[in-house]
Order: sequence, then C-alpha cells, then structure tokens
Amino acid sequence: MILNILFWFGLYVIVSLSLNLEYGYGGIPNFGKALSVLVGAVAVGGILIRLLMAIYGVHQGLVIGSSTVSGEITSAVAKNPLLGVEVFLASLIIAVVIGTIVGAVFILPSARLREDYLAITLLAIAETFTMVCYYDPTIIGSYYGVSVPNVFAFVPSSEFYQFYVALTLFMAFLVYVFVERITNTPYGRLLRAMRENEDVVKAYGRDIMSVRMKTMAVGSGIAAIVGVLYAYYTLEIQPGSFMNYGRTLWTFFPFLIILLGGAGNNRGVVLGSFIFATLWELVDFYKNSIVSALHLPIEAVWLEYILFGVLMLLILFYKPEGLIPERPIETEPMKRLKS
Amino acid sequence: MSVLEGALIYSNLLALLALGLTLTYITTAVPNFAQGSFAVFGSYVALTLWKLLGIHPYASLPVAFVLGGLLGAVVYLVVLKPLIMRGANVVTLMIATLALDLILLGLRGIYSGILGSVIGQPCEMFMFTYLVHYIDGIPDVLIVSTAVMIVTLVGLMFLLYRTKFGIALRASMENPMLSEIMGVNVERTRMFSWFLSGALASMAGVLLPFKQQIVPATAEIIIVSIFAASIVGGLSNIYGAIVGGYIVGMSESFVTYLLSTVFGAGMLVYGKVVSLSIIVATLLITPKGLAGVNWRKVIGWSSGR
Repeated sequence: MILNILFWFGLYVIVSLSLNLEYGYGGIPNFGKALSVLVGAVAVGGILIRLLMAIYGVHQGLVIGSSTVSGEITSAVAKNPLLGVEVFLASLIIAVVIGTIVGAVFILPSARLREDYLAITLLAIAETFTMVCYYDPTIIGSYYGVSVPNVFAFVPSSEFYQFYVALTLFMAFLVYVFVERITNTPYGRLLRAMRENEDVVKAYGRDIMSVRMKTMAVGSGIAAIVGVLYAYYTLEIQPGSFMNYGRTLWTFFPFLIILLGGAGNNRGVVLGSFIFATLWELVDFYKNSIVSALHLPIEAVWLEYILFGVLMLLILFYKPEGLIPERPIETEPMKRLKS
Repeated sequence: MSVLEGALIYSNLLALLALGLTLTYITTAVPNFAQGSFAVFGSYVALTLWKLLGIHPYASLPVAFVLGGLLGAVVYLVVLKPLIMRGANVVTLMIATLALDLILLGLRGIYSGILGSVIGQPCEMFMFTYLVHYIDGIPDVLIVSTAVMIVTLVGLMFLLYRTKFGIALRASMENPMLSEIMGVNVERTRMFSWFLSGALASMAGVLLPFKQQIVPATAEIIIVSIFAASIVGGLSNIYGAIVGGYIVGMSESFVTYLLSTVFGAGMLVYGKVVSLSIIVATLLITPKGLAGVNWRKVIGWSSGR
C-alpha cells in the first residue's frame, strides 16, 4: 500500500508540476493535460513498438506483433540489462520529443485567445484524440491493447515493484529540480507576469503567443514522461478503458492537486500530490467495503468521482490559494535588500 | 433512418444544447463543461419514466424540461453563485464546472446501477431506437425534435422581445452593470438562464437516445460538438449557436458518412475530429465566429466589388 502511494505520488508529481508550469505560473488553463500523457503512451505503444517490430522482423500486426516482440525483448533483457535500459531511454527520448512538438502545435489554434477559449480548445483537442485512440485499434490497439516489454526484466520479480517505484521517484525528483530551476529564471518571472497581466507583458515587447507555445511545449514534454512510466509499469497500453488515459485521471486530478497544494508553488504541488495519492489509495482500499456496507448495486468508482469532485468544489470555496500559498519571488536584489 | 434524417435530428439536438451553453455563457461568462451531463440527465429522466411508469419518452419531454431546469438552477445556486460572490475568476469557474461534470458522472453511475437493479436490466448503456415510428417513411423523432426546436425558438423570441422580463434579460446580457443600475435584477436573469440552459439540454437528452447509444462517456464525448457549435456561432450569440448547431451537426454527419463510404466503416470513429476541425478553423479564420464576420463586406467581396 505504501509502495502504491509512492508510485502514484511520483507519477502525479511529474504531471502536476508540468501543469503547474502551464497553469500555476503561466496562467494557461490546460484542460487537455491528459493528451500529453496519452502522447507518452503513443510514443511507446505506437512508435517504439512498431520500430522494434521492424528491427526484429515481426510482421504480425500491432496487437499480436507487440506481444511477440515484447516477449523476445523481455527474455533478451534478462540476459543483457543494457538493452533494457537502452529501450527505456529511447522511449523517454521519443516521448519527450513528440510531447514537446505536440504541446507546441496543440496550443496553436488558440494561443492568441482568451482563457476560456484556450480551455475549451485544449479540452476539445485532448478529448477528441483520447476518443480516437479509444476506438481506433490501428493507433495503440484500442480495446485489444498493446503489449510492452519488461525492460527491467533483469531485476528479480520479487523486487521489481520496489525498483520501479524508486525509479519513478527518481524521475519525479529530476523533474522537480528541472521545473524549480526553470521557474526561478527570468523566464519563470515572465510566466507569472503573463498570468497577472498580458497587456503589460505585451507592452514590454514580449510575444504572448510564443511564450505560451514554449510553455506548453515544455509542459507537454514533461508530462509525456508519465505516459512512458505508466506503460512500463502496467506492461501493456490499454486505451480501451476510458479511465486509463482519460480526462479524470490526467487532467482533473492534476488540477485538484495544484489547487490543493497551492498554484504557482512547486513545493505546494509536491505536498498536494502526496496528500492526493494517500487519499486516493485510502479511498481505493476502503471503497469496496463502503459499497458493500451500503448494500447498493453500485460500482465503487462512482463514489470516488463524487468524492473528488466535491473535494475540488470545497477547495475552490474555502481555500482557493491552496495549503502553501504562492510567495513573492526572491530575486538577488531583493535578498540583498532584506539582509 | 437515412443519413439526412439522422443528421437533421442530431443538428436539432446540438442546436438546443449549444443554445443553452451560449445562454449561460452570456449571462455568467463561464463555458459550462457540464452541459453534456445536463443532456444525459434528461436521457435518464426519460429512461426512468419509460421503464418504471411506461410513459413514452416524447410524453416525458415536459417533465424533463422542468427537472433539467431545476438541475440547472440548483447548479447555479449551489456552485456558481457562491463562487462568483467570492470574486472567483473565469478559470476557477471553469474548473468548478469540470468538477461538477465529474460529480454528475458519479451520480449518474450510481443512479444507473440502482435503476438497473430495480428494473432488472443494465442501464449503463441504452437506446430508444426501437421506439421510433415511421409516419409516411419519416421517423417521428425527426418531427418531434424539429417541433421542440421551433417551439423553443418561438418561445424564446416571444420571451426576449415581447415581455418585460425579456427586455431585462437582454439588457443584462448586453451590459450587466448598467442594467443593474437601472434596476434590473441581474441575479434573477442569471438564474433564469441556468434554468433554461438545463431545461433545453435535458429535452435534447430525452431525444438523444433515439439517435445514438447512451454510454457512461456520452457526456464527455458530446461536449466537443456542443462547444464546436457554440464557437462557430461566436460563443456569445444565441442565433449563432443555433446556426452553429446545424453547421456542426450536418458536417459531422455528412463528412463522416462520406469518409466511411470511401475509406470504410473505421472512419465513423473520426466524427468528433470533424467538430474539432471546425473549432480550429473558426478560431484561426474568425475567432469571434459567424457573429464576428462582417457579412456585408463578404457579400460585396464575393460579388466582385
């Protein structure tokens, strides 16, 4: 259970930090965050697996071919750990590159427009692509799913989960350092300025559209990592369940985390991710017993939705600034003034 | 049902949904991401009345209108009004409607589970296509949906242009602050717009299962088309929303149909890509939608002057 909490904590730290960069700092209401996670899954299941199938000479179609090639790679990795690490790194690189491109392109139609148009367009794009991947088996297998090799097959299976959680937390740490660095640069302050007042930023000669595109590119690149980590954890990509890559899991929950922890504040987001992951795991653990205690013929997942939806409204009502509010920026001259 | 008939029915429903979305956007300045859930609420009202009491879905339209309206009004009073009072910005309000959509999804799931156990058959997915009758070869749902659209339009026109409340409503849409100074109760017009939006969406929801299957994700999927219709119409123009509903409904149906005859049935999945392309094209060419186009100029230009 603790490992579960830590695993989801790691994943949500990454995706929420990327959303915090876009929304918390830049003020871009990215209601299509789920798309970048999906892009990570497509990078593995739709691109890397196809490449590997070509390399290994598997000609069987994606759904069956992926399980053949995954089997071969998994057994090869058990003897040759380096291969597994290479495949993993290759997936990360493909995912980040495609995520970056998709992020930049995905905001193009609405980059010049107001927040409400931005949110609608981003949501519509993400929702459409999630749906296409859900129904069309030629992209990442739809309801059949795509098998993914176990690139860490050299780790004994009894310790696999511990190893994978550690890896996820390490990736989350790297992302935290990266986002913390990037938000403490002139660029980070430009983002906050854009959030507060676009006209002032324009008056100082900055192009809002290009700042937004860069931010979305970076944010989507980061979030694509989550798609990869999630794929190598489940060892299959299943877009055919509308939970897996849907809006609730990868757009709504990250927003919940950011608002819970405090928007525009990376430490707050980490705290928010931890509270959320713990709460989620607890709900997951107890929900079936709650449902059976109610003697109602309902699925437990619905209760979860209602609970987190209400939690979001409560935060918006009573604590919109989050648990750790955003602090003023400590630039070098300000530090000197204080001392 | 031919492609044209299906497209017309779908367009009627989209126009109703987009009209509601636009109404609340004009008065409250928030795009309601839960509009799809409002519609599916109506579908469940119809399903419940049909399965439990044997009331035909067409006869449940007035009930759905009232219940859907109440849902809209409650949503405004419980969720949006308190947030607006606290000075929440647009993004906060949008996140609130997103949360609301999730809550409604959860409630719907629970309700369909309970209803399913009461009537002894699963209710998470359902259709009313078996109830469609043909009058001289025309499906009656086409007639009913068109009639609902016409009655709505005439009623709205009468309300907006022939009643005192309509004048107040139009004034508070144009300039809420000024009309408040002039003694218009802006709060009441806002609440009314949410009532009407919920009521229209719920009526569209009653008729939606005649056209397509209701699944748990229906609300999340149809929202793309509703936004497309509303954005084509300029997002804050009620006539634009209706025109947008027909443009999006028709092109979604026909483009997908054409693609599927050329490339095979696999293309039917790409219906929402059409709506999305319409959103993108509108935002790139004329971000304010059809209402923002200077039609006189366009006509003059096309006739070569």
